[in-house]
Parts: sequence; structure tokens; C-alpha cells
Amino acid sequence: MKIISSYSIKGGVGKTALAVNLAYAFSEADHRTLLLDLDPQGAAAFYFRVSSAKKFNMGDTNSLSGGLRRNIRESDFPGLDIIPSSLAYRHFDIALDGMEKRRKQLRRVLEEFKDDYDTIILDCPPNITLLSENVFRASDLILVPVIPTVLSQRTLEQLDRFFSDEELPLDRLCPFFSMVQKRNKLHRETMAELTAAYPQFLKTTIPLSVDVEKMGLRRMPLLAYSKASDAAQAYRTLCSEIISLQENVCD
Amino acid sequence: MLRVLSQADKNSAVWVLPPGLIPRSLGTTWKVVEQPKTVTFCTFYDTFEWGVWFSGHLLYNDGTEYILQTLTSGWPGTVECTEQGDNIRFWYDFSGKLMRQRLREYLGLRGLEAVATAVFTTQCCDLRNESGKIVCRIEWSCIADEPGRDPYFTSCKILPLRGYEDQTSHVVYRLVELGATPPGTGPFSLLLQRAGCTPRVYTLKPSFGISFETPAREAVGRIIATILTIAESNIAGITADLDTEFLHDYRICLRKARSLLGLVKNIYPLGETEQFRNQLGELTRATNYLRDLDVCALTYHEHLVNLPEPLHKGLSLIFSRLLTERKREQRSVSTNLRNKSASNTIQGIIAEISIVSGHVESAAFQQIGPLVFRGILRRYRKIKTIAQTINIESTDEKLHQLRIECKKLRYLMEFFNEILPSDKSQLLQRQLRRLQGVLGDCNDSSVQQAFLLGWWHKQQADTDSTLTMGGLIALLHQRQQEARLRINKMLSEFTDNKTAATFKHIFKLQAEATGK
Ligand SMILES: Nc1ncnc2c1ncn2[C@@H]1O[C@H](COP(=O)(O)OP(=O)(O)OP(=O)(O)O)[C@@H](O)[C@H]1O
Ligand SMILES: [Mg+2]
Repeated sequence: MKIISSYSIKGGVGKTALAVNLAYAFSEADHRTLLLDLDPQGAAAFYFRVSSAKKFNMGDTNSLSGGLRRNIRESDFPGLDIIPSSLAYRHFDIALDGMEKRRKQLRRVLEEFKDDYDTIILDCPPNITLLSENVFRASDLILVPVIPTVLSQRTLEQLDRFFSDEELPLDRLCPFFSMVQKRNKLHRETMAELTAAYPQFLKTTIPLSVDVEKMGLRRMPLLAYSKASDAAQAYRTLCSEIISLQENVCD
Repeated sequence: MLRVLSQADKNSAVWVLPPGLIPRSLGTTWKVVEQPKTVTFCTFYDTFEWGVWFSGHLLYNDGTEYILQTLTSGWPGTVECTEQGDNIRFWYDFSGKLMRQRLREYLGLRGLEAVATAVFTTQCCDLRNESGKIVCRIEWSCIADEPGRDPYFTSCKILPLRGYEDQTSHVVYRLVELGATPPGTGPFSLLLQRAGCTPRVYTLKPSFGISFETPAREAVGRIIATILTIAESNIAGITADLDTEFLHDYRICLRKARSLLGLVKNIYPLGETEQFRNQLGELTRATNYLRDLDVCALTYHEHLVNLPEPLHKGLSLIFSRLLTERKREQRSVSTNLRNKSASNTIQGIIAEISIVSGHVESAAFQQIGPLVFRGILRRYRKIKTIAQTINIESTDEKLHQLRIECKKLRYLMEFFNEILPSDKSQLLQRQLRRLQGVLGDCNDSSVQQAFLLGWWHKQQADTDSTLTMGGLIALLHQRQQEARLRINKMLSEFTDNKTAATFKHIFKLQAEATGK
């Protein structure tokens, strides 16, 4: 079982779009996939028309994993399940804070699902909290959508520094370009600079596309209603790149 | 891929629906999104003995391929194997390893025939809630006789979605309100019934419902009538040339009936007995040549394995000639059988033999038990006497005589199995079967050699075939010798003092005790 999270300190960069479509792409590739929506806004679950999670006790790891399990919802698509978010998730931090080894609890909780799923994808809220730290320690891969603008360089640096300071595994940090406009000169230049500074950037980029925006209207993953669009292809390619990345790590 | 007859598993449940219920009936509570329908015309296959059905399977063709599927409590289970093909009759007409292996077991030498057809319509429906989320799926299935006809069986499979179990219960509740019932015995008995057939057990060793005290004439009459009825039930299969087993069984039944007439003496007027025996003998003889050809044809695959490669060309030449000859002979036998004279003869014998009253023959009203027990002992003693003269050098005729005596004893014990003390006589019968097995092997090989040689002399020979014929005869001869070597052991086992004592113990004492 691999845990992959979609994370950025910045809001609105395409984290949820990534999580939703990547989850779909993994299930298409025959991975038994679970999408865990950790953002109290609940955007990911919205795209699957799944209503928010029922309340449950987060006091200890057992009730946490039990509560998550009870909230598993089968999506409309084969091999893809969802745990929707709920407003209660804003207390995640407090809950984790009260536990021993509070930075590693999420991994322990998710390990409970290893017989049922090949891949778990986490959609994260945009901030750095105890929950995000748990996410970092729980994930085999942390995908960071980066819109190629000058500002995003700062955000990446911040994240990098945080990882170094907290002695988090930097090699799991995997940025990629999101909402890319190929025609935009500034985008192209920024991408060249950033790739030089951060060689771990994934090769695949996700283009800016109205097809993605329509997800809000269609309320389903882009890959489900527009299989052949460029953006859909891009998500699929990204998925393959991640799979081969993981295979190489294993070898 | 969606299979017509897809299996319910631990996560799904099947319900039988009242006719006329359609997916839209659920539209008041959920938004029903109907997926395209799949309409499949299926032909079901089985043998005269229902080998597929009784193995707990279905074999059908859905227009694309043959599908072998398990049948669990009347409902389709796991698909075991599939294969494309046409003109399939025997297990060896398939090429897949698993398919051949399975069907070889279920069919034996039997040929498949279409037993029923039906049109299956399957449709998947999504039930969506007010957010448009699928909360339950239903697979709707209908079975009809022909395309466009009203279905005679409707069922659905409910496929719950994890996390929406409450909705699934709700759906089931609604369906039950609309008349749904639990799965029951499944659609297939009904399907076969509509095709006019019901799987039934077929056996050459039925029980006849006789007891030790049954009057001899009545018992024998009942046995013969039953056996001859089985014989007659095989005629249609012979004329249709479905497989070689029909003729085989037909002949066995005729021979058994004929033999029984000779075994229990003095219960019909002598002239009558002789007449029946002659008639039955004649019917059997009329099919001798075809049976010989059948036996040869059946050994093709075996010979192919046993003969060296250079002789294969000749083998296929010989067999293609044999098959042509067989086809000709099959047609001639069929013509004779079709014109009813065989049927009429059989019916005539059954009718006369079943008349119970008005006979003066000495043994007609005696209890059958003592007669049979005495007969069994007499046969056994005769076999013992012959056995003393048998050795490795014994002539084929001598062995033949032994085989005939064994056969008579076996028939007696088989016919009257119901009145024999079971455990011990079972053991004796097993020994006897083993002995008869080697005697039969020996005899078959010898008969086949004679037949092939006789037939061959009437053929235009080419080099390849001649070469192979030599090989074949040598092969058969070798097999005969091998069987011969085994005879002595089985024979001494069957005639040793211990076995003799058992025979005496069972049949002598009982006969005396009950006979007087
Ligand atoms: N490749 C894209 N092309 C065009 N629009 C996009 C693309 N990716 C995301 N969007 C749109 O941008 C908006 C923000 O995307 P998304 O919700 O995925 O970002 P986010 O990082 O999850 O945001 P938040 O931080 O609020 O959780 C959404 O309206 C989404 O439809
Ligand atoms: Mg988001």
C-alpha cells in the first residue's frame, strides 16, 4: 500500500483537482484506491457527490481508524472509494495533539487499511499544522502542485526549509507544474528556472484547461466525463510517472 | 464484461421478481438510470444421460462461445472455462485443456445435443439519490422463449455500494413491496421444462422392485420389461447417430434380456422362450457389424498415442475408410430401426412377458429367491470347473467359454442384486467384475484383430495403410497377451477356497433356509 498526498501551503493551486483525478487514474490502472479528503471544506467529496462524513470520536487511534472505516463510501467508479471530509476535521490537530507520538499517528491509522487498498490518496488543506506534519510522515510521496509564477518559488522554498528543519524526508517531496499555460512566456521561463533549482520536479505538467474547471458543474472527475481531453491525458500520464517512480524506488 | 448468467457473490443478492416489474417501478424513490440492455440468445447443451447437469454445471453457447459454468442451487455460479468453436459434439472437439478435462469427465463417450434455448436480457440500472450519487446498482434479468416474447422469468441482482447499506435495505424493502421473492430454486428447471425436457437419471442397472418371495414369472417379467424399455429408449439416439453409447446400451439390454430368459428355466413355455431368445438374438446380430466398426473407430485416439509417428499417415487412411464404412452401415442400421420392426418386436415381447396369469409351467409361481440362489451356486461351480483347465496356453475358445459363464453369473447377480445379502455379495461382484474386465480386454483385443484382418482383406491396400495395419495387429496382439497374463491371478483369486466358501455360505445356506 502506498500513501500519496496532494499538498501545498498555498490555496487554489490545483490540489483537489489533482487528488480527484489521480485517484480516478489509479483506479483505472487497477489499483484499489481510497481517496481521503482531509480538507474540512470537503471539495474532493463534493466532486464525487458524496455527502460529508458522519461525526465520530477522534480521541484515540482506534476510534479514529474505526470512524474513518465507517465513513468509507464506494464511489460511482469501480475500485475507487472515498472517505469524505467533515467540518469536524478541523479538530484533527487537537485530536492528534493529545496522542503519544503525535506526529506519526496518521500513518499508524492508515496502516489499518493496507489489506483493502493499494493506493491511498490524501487531499490536504492549504496550511502547515500538526495534521500536515502527520501527512508528511505518513506519505510515501507528497505531490505539490506549483503554478509557474514568481511567487510560487517562495512557497517551495518555505516548504523545503520546513522539511529540513523538521528533519522530514525531503526526497518524498515531489513538485509538479499545475495550471500551465504553454503560450505564456513567463510560465516557460519560471518553469525552466524552477526545474534547474529543483531537479525532483516531475516531468508531467498539468495544463490550464476549462475542462478542469467544468468539474464543479459536472460533479465528477475530469477523467470520467472527458477522457480524451489534454488535461485528462496529463493526469493519466502523471499517474504513470508516479507508478514508475515507485517501481524504481522499490528496485 | 457483463455475462448473461452472471454469478451472485457474497456481496450481492438475487431476488425473483413478478412478471412485468420493470426498473422504472423504483423511480418514485430514486432516479433510475438504465444502462443499455444486453440481449443474448443462448443454447444449452447436455447428453442423453444429463452428464453436464448432474455434474452441477451448465454448458451453453451465447452466440460467441461455449461457456461451462457451475450451477449452485439452481443459479449460475462460477464460469469455469469458455471456448469458441462450432460443430461441437464430443469432449475432444474442444481444444482448451481445462474444457477437455472437465467434459471428458462429465460426458465420457456421450455426445452433446442442444436441449433448450432461451433469450436472456440483462440490464444494469443505477439508482441515484438527489445529489446524483449512485447508492445502489441493480442488474435486471429476464428470460424469454424467443426474442420479443414476454419474459417468463424475471429476477434481479442487487449490487450494494459500500457505505450505502441503508439505501440497499431500502431498495430491497421496496422490491418486496412490489412482489419480489427470495431466489428459490432458480430458473433452469423451468427453462428445461419449457423446452420439454427434465433431467432424469439414466442407468443400465435400475432396481426392479422384487423381493425374495416374488413369484418367478412375475420377477423375470418385470426385469425383462424394464430392460427392454431401456433398450427401446436408445433407438432414437442410434438413428440420430448422436454417439456410440446408444447402440452399445441397446445391445447390452437386448443381450441381458436374452440371457435372463435362458438363466431362469421353466417359467415360460419352452417354445415361447426360444422364440423370444431368437428374436432378441436377431435384433442384436443386425447391429454386430456396426458395433465392431464403432469399437474400432473409438480406439483411434488411443492408437495415435501408441503407434510410432511414421505409422500415423496409414492410421488416418485406415480410419477414414473405417469411418466411411461406418457411416454407410450406420445409415443402413438406422433405416431398419426406423421402420419400426425392432420397436414392434420389443413391444411384442414386453406385452407377452408381462401377462402373469394362466401359466402351467413348473417354476412360474415358485419364489424367485431360491431359484436364483441355486442358479448362482450352479454357475459358480461351473466356472470353478472350467478354471481348473485354464492356463497360459489355453485357447481363445476356452477363454471365451469362461468369459460367457462369468457373464451369465454376473448378469444373475446384477439382476437380482436387490435380493442378495448386500455386503458380502458386493465383494464377490467386485471380484467378478475385475475378472471379467481382463477376460473382456483379452476378448476385445482378439475380436478386434479378427475383425480388422477380415475387413482389411476386402480393402484395396496401399503401402502406408498396410504398414500401419501390421502395427495395429501387433499392438492388439500384445494387449491380448498382457490381459492373458493377468487372467490367472484374478481367476485363482475368484475360485480359491475362501471365495468358494463365501459363495457356499451365502447362497447355499440361505437357499436351504428360506427354500424349505
Ligand atoms: N488545470 C486546471 N485548469 C483550470 N482550472 C483548474 C485547474 N486545476 C484546478 N483548476 C480550478 O482552480 C480552482 C482551484 O482548484 P483546486 O480546488 O483543485 O485547488 P486547491 O489547491 O485544492 O484549492 P484549496 O486550497 O482551496 O483546497 C478550482 O475551481 C478548479 O476547478
Ligand atoms: Mg482543495
